[in-house]
Amino acid sequence: MSLQTDKRDFSERTTDGLGDSFMRNAVGSAQDSLKTRRLSAATALGDWEQWRTAGQQIRQHTLQNLDYYLEQLAGNIEKKGGHIYFAATKEEASSYIRDVIVQKKAKKIVKSKSMVTEEIELNHVLIEAGCELIETDLGEYILQMDDWDPPSHIVAPALHKDRRQIQRVFTEKLGYTDDESPEKLARFARKVLRQKFLEAEVGITGCNFAVANLGAINLVTNEGNGDLTAAIPKTHIAVMGMERIVPTLAEMEVLDNLLCRSAVGQKLTSYITVMGPSVAGDTDGPEEFHLVVVDNGRSDILGSEFNEALQCIRCGACLNVCPVYRHIGGHAYGSIYPGPIGAVITPLLGGYDDYKELPFASSLCAACTDVCPVRIPLHEQLILHRQNIVKENRTGSMERFQMKAAGRLLSSPALFGKTLRFAHPASRLMSKHGRIVRGPELIQGWIGARDLSQPVKQQDSFRAWLDKRKGESGE
Amino acid sequence: MTVSGNHHTSGNNKESFLNTIASKLGRERRHEVQLPDIQSLLPDSYGSLTQDDLIDILKEQCFFIHTQVIESKPEILQRTLDDLIEANGGGSVMTSGDPRFAAYGLKFPGSFAWEEAAGRELNIMRAESANTAVIFADYALAESGTIVVESRPDQGRSLHFLPAHYIAVIEKERIVLRSTQAAAALNRRVQAGEPLGSSINLISGPSNSADIEMKLVVGVHGPLSATYVLI
Repeated sequence: MSLQTDKRDFSERTTDGLGDSFMRNAVGSAQDSLKTRRLSAATALGDWEQWRTAGQQIRQHTLQNLDYYLEQLAGNIEKKGGHIYFAATKEEASSYIRDVIVQKKAKKIVKSKSMVTEEIELNHVLIEAGCELIETDLGEYILQMDDWDPPSHIVAPALHKDRRQIQRVFTEKLGYTDDESPEKLARFARKVLRQKFLEAEVGITGCNFAVANLGAINLVTNEGNGDLTAAIPKTHIAVMGMERIVPTLAEMEVLDNLLCRSAVGQKLTSYITVMGPSVAGDTDGPEEFHLVVVDNGRSDILGSEFNEALQCIRCGACLNVCPVYRHIGGHAYGSIYPGPIGAVITPLLGGYDDYKELPFASSLCAACTDVCPVRIPLHEQLILHRQNIVKENRTGSMERFQMKAAGRLLSSPALFGKTLRFAHPASRLMSKHGRIVRGPELIQGWIGARDLSQPVKQQDSFRAWLDKRKGESGE
Repeated sequence: MTVSGNHHTSGNNKESFLNTIASKLGRERRHEVQLPDIQSLLPDSYGSLTQDDLIDILKEQCFFIHTQVIESKPEILQRTLDDLIEANGGGSVMTSGDPRFAAYGLKFPGSFAWEEAAGRELNIMRAESANTAVIFADYALAESGTIVVESRPDQGRSLHFLPAHYIAVIEKERIVLRSTQAAAALNRRVQAGEPLGSSINLISGPSNSADIEMKLVVGVHGPLSATYVLI
């Protein structure tokens, strides 16, 4: 999988999403329960707004001094005998990892969930190289077994599937014979995957935050697969987006609290681990440790008007409150990063050519900005994108023409008044029973889902009424 | 153990990578940074708490994270643990090699302790076939129902994940309020140049997942159950 999960038109993808009533129900109820859980976990922390400010300051300080902290991290990892590799592009990142694996003649790879490895198309590269690669996060494993169905949520990747679909996948692909209860499905996956952990030669994980002064990575998980991936194979390769770093364990602790509470409404997830290269006396854990730091377009965001998007800690809280995500679902974004944050960073990482529609997939209600634990002004960044897209003439020629016409009309009081007078007779041909039923592109999008009243007759308008009233009262 | 013989030489890569970052930030590379005081931003919402308050907070939180809490005493600890192991369905036991097992006079016939001398394969195999793991916590965090353990020669990483059931013994004086205190204590060790174990684990209850229809399933890849014994 790459950043792009679906090459079809945005309108086709959203139509698919809107028509998938199971998915919409699933996303709706997930949003509702996550919202409540997040709120109670956030409230329990005390002054949540202060914590958000602390989170924001930690992220901004780290970004402003990113070169310093990455250098410190590299020094500390190497001091412990670990390897650190800086990859400017996704190709550099995935081929480094492939070379490490090929050189060991390793075949059996276990992975724990990592969005950045999706971004660098690592699975594809390793499978090409002949590796047997297994995603061990339960949700990711389900998607892999379903012929690599793309994830639809950054925290709950298989959110769009119901238990019966999962039961069917397990039955067809793995010979599962039991019923569709989530417990039984999970126990079955546990058993199959336990064997994979024990056989694996290389474990690949993501990294929630690297800890610069310690030379270690921090993983925040619930299932225990991340720790098994790092504990059992003799080689551990961790992959991180270059901005995912904290100065010390103290800042990590603040961000982990914000992350766990925002993502799943837990005070802390079941497993929060700080791990690195092994030390003398270790009997398990990796004999060889590699950390791959990925740029892949991030440095172009750094210092730009979108700099704050790099503060993201991938909690998914903005997805869970977004009214647009609720209805179109994660797949409609066509990116491994969906929802409001996806609509901000996907065009930055993948370019406007493929993703110019995403910043418009928002009502600008700002629920995302309100909920973001590190105070990214998400809706303002979406507006910035929209301005760029318009400035670069990337909107359709019809839309530009209509917008120009509307602009002229609305900026001239005389023209506006005249138009109002003729609006009713002019709209007669487009209307039926007092509702507009057809019209130019700008109107089509609205009336596809909602009613639009036909403009009233001049003599029934509010202005006419007001003028008449003024006349009566002698003003 | 370097990746030799290929084109990946980290040195130059690193320099150009970090130079790019500095130039995007519109400045020279930085070699000295003053870390701002973030902690002072964070108010203490609990006020002063007694040891009993902490125990109450811990117990309440454990209810929400599907973790059983048993209050015991050093004199009856062996019996408490034996009962819990029995309740897990008996079977084999693996402990850490923590000296506190001897100090409290604990013995589990037929069990294995994690030991450096046994090596990787044997330790992992013993942990994998164990029905119950018993360990001692370094700290416990009341607010989140968490125990903190560090990997050591006598306590590998996978001991906390492979056995089917997990029992952590918590000495009451090791309960602190929250992760803030544990992170600060660990960070002091880092700053003092003291080596830390290669894995520091903050464990809050049994493994779980809500990946199927957002329904919570307790017991996924790690232990199916977790019990804390307070002494």
